[in-house]
Amino acid sequence: MAFGAAHPLLWAQNKEPIRIGILIPLTGATSQFGATMSRAAQIAAEEINAAGGVNGRRVEVVIEDDQSNPEASVRAARKLIDVDRVVAIGGSYASSVTSAIAPLCWESKTVLATSSGADSITKLPHQGYIFRTSPTVTLQGTRVGDLGIELGCKKMFFMGPQTPFAQSYIDIISGIFTRAGGTGAGLIYEDKKSSYRSEVDQALRAKPDVIVLGGYVPDTSVVLKDLYRAGYDGKRIGFSFGINQKLVEAVPAEVGEGAYSLVPSASVNAGAYKRLIAKMKVEALDSYSCQVYDHVNLVALALASAPAAEANGTTVRDNLRGISQSPQGKVVDSAPDGLKLLSSGSRINFDGASGPLEFADNGDVKGVFFRYEQIQKGKLAVTKVA
Amino acid sequence: MFSDIVQHLVNGLVMGAVVALPALGLTLIFSVLGFINFSIAAQMTVGAYAGWLVNSYLHWPLVPVLVVAFATAGAVGIVGDRLALVPMRRKISAHTPLMVAIVSIALNLALENALRFGFGSDLNSFDMPVARDVQFAGIRVGPQQMHNLGIALAIAVALAAFFTVTRVGKAMRAVADNPDLARLKGIDPARLSNLATFIGMGLAGIGGALLAIDTSVDPSTGSRLLLIIFSASVLGGLTSLIGAVLGALLIGVVSEVALLAISPVYQSATAFVAILLVLLVRPSGLFAGASGVRK
Repeated sequence: MAFGAAHPLLWAQNKEPIRIGILIPLTGATSQFGATMSRAAQIAAEEINAAGGVNGRRVEVVIEDDQSNPEASVRAARKLIDVDRVVAIGGSYASSVTSAIAPLCWESKTVLATSSGADSITKLPHQGYIFRTSPTVTLQGTRVGDLGIELGCKKMFFMGPQTPFAQSYIDIISGIFTRAGGTGAGLIYEDKKSSYRSEVDQALRAKPDVIVLGGYVPDTSVVLKDLYRAGYDGKRIGFSFGINQKLVEAVPAEVGEGAYSLVPSASVNAGAYKRLIAKMKVEALDSYSCQVYDHVNLVALALASAPAAEANGTTVRDNLRGISQSPQGKVVDSAPDGLKLLSSGSRINFDGASGPLEFADNGDVKGVFFRYEQIQKGKLAVTKVA
Repeated sequence: MFSDIVQHLVNGLVMGAVVALPALGLTLIFSVLGFINFSIAAQMTVGAYAGWLVNSYLHWPLVPVLVVAFATAGAVGIVGDRLALVPMRRKISAHTPLMVAIVSIALNLALENALRFGFGSDLNSFDMPVARDVQFAGIRVGPQQMHNLGIALAIAVALAAFFTVTRVGKAMRAVADNPDLARLKGIDPARLSNLATFIGMGLAGIGGALLAIDTSVDPSTGSRLLLIIFSASVLGGLTSLIGAVLGALLIGVVSEVALLAISPVYQSATAFVAILLVLLVRPSGLFAGASGVRK
């Protein structure tokens, strides 16, 4: 191709593409955001390729279904690592799934960018290969507890399914209430039930004035209905993986009315977020799909900042903080802009659709803020951002 | 404490009522065709989606919704049976109940993913108000759940009558008992097996729609309960219709009352331990031979 050099896309095809694995729940209990996560990852790759790819190579996202199931996720991760030879795996939503695949990633020197919350994940001996874009359970639990106190509640009761973080939530939120002179308790239930009447009875025996819901959308929608049937009229607070737009559509308006939700927030004014929702043709997008979009961007920019190094997981690990939080870097909110600056030898500081993306040494994201939302007249309304 | 026990008992009956209809369907199909049709879970979901479509877009009320759920799940059940299971049953070499059951698991996955492909993974809600519970002497009862219980019992009684009184019902029992002998008497087993599949899957469809009104409509609506349904049928002896209903109610009651003593996380374990104990004492199930299809 004599004229190939004229167009970056043409000469990019002479080389193997750089593959980024996206392991997300397309089926199963946590699959509510699977479709948007998948779209967000593809849009990120399209934008990067339209800007000429990374170091003259195309970026290809390989999407696999984790089936909301740790066992299936391990098989999918093996395939991504061994067959597709991905440099990184992004997505990874349920904490049980992330905990299961993490060892495969660090042993094969593959970066794992995750949107899971369980604190235990970054405590694993991951040698720097894990980057978490979601706030930890400790942080989310603390914020929910504080919100309960702020709303004037005294007796907290937590209801959630068996997850790696359910007990942590009970401990953290109960602690906040006890220190404020109130009480806290909780129960952990099975997540596949058709009714939670007996669990609700148990919760109501404690006479709580706030119930914290720690489940995903399917079980939370049933618990909310049973709380409504039982005539509970206290406050209800949930997390964005349980109380969100999908849930609002899944329960009759009177059932969800007044429930609060805590949403790890892209600053709604961030340029990356605004462009992404415009491209997806939606009015608002959940934080997790924004995070998956950022996973692809972070990996691509990290490789682009080290054109001389081999494109592999270790290169991603060693250069990711250099493009996401360098104080000397020019702040950019789009991967194409970042690629352009990097190729001209400048340093960048990438701020994504899910937040400013600065990582502590253990891989946890720093400086996250939250949107506090409440279901009002069948719609989620933002009550504050902090 | 006593009122707690009664409350959990009522909750258990409510939970069991949801499981009772699909368990009836599973039992009916096993009685006539001699294999466990695991695609019943996806058929519940088919019924749930069919009911949800006419309810949310045409605003039909409960009874017509259930009729649509019944007819759609029944029809899809026959199509699935013809495409996947009949060829297996015709193969003499492969026709073991276990082989057919395994193919029905594959059919279940295919149906569930077809629904996922058509409707996405989103949860959908019926456009029906959630009724507040009514208090009776300190016990809370949900009107809608009482409906479910009533409908399940009424259908079980109607089916039992159908099998003991009508010619078709008797013919079905004859096929269940001895297909060759029935054929000699001029009964066509193929037609009857279609009827059994239609009724059985239709019942699952009604159960799925009732379940979805309580919970939500999504591709996994039915499969979440598959194990419990299967257990209810086994507990009822797999051939007794009344047994299927009682088995379902019993599992519901045992697992909900157990919550008083055991953490909710282990709830399904308590139900299965109960089944284990029952089957150790009565390997053929609690109600085998009691007013069932096979006498």
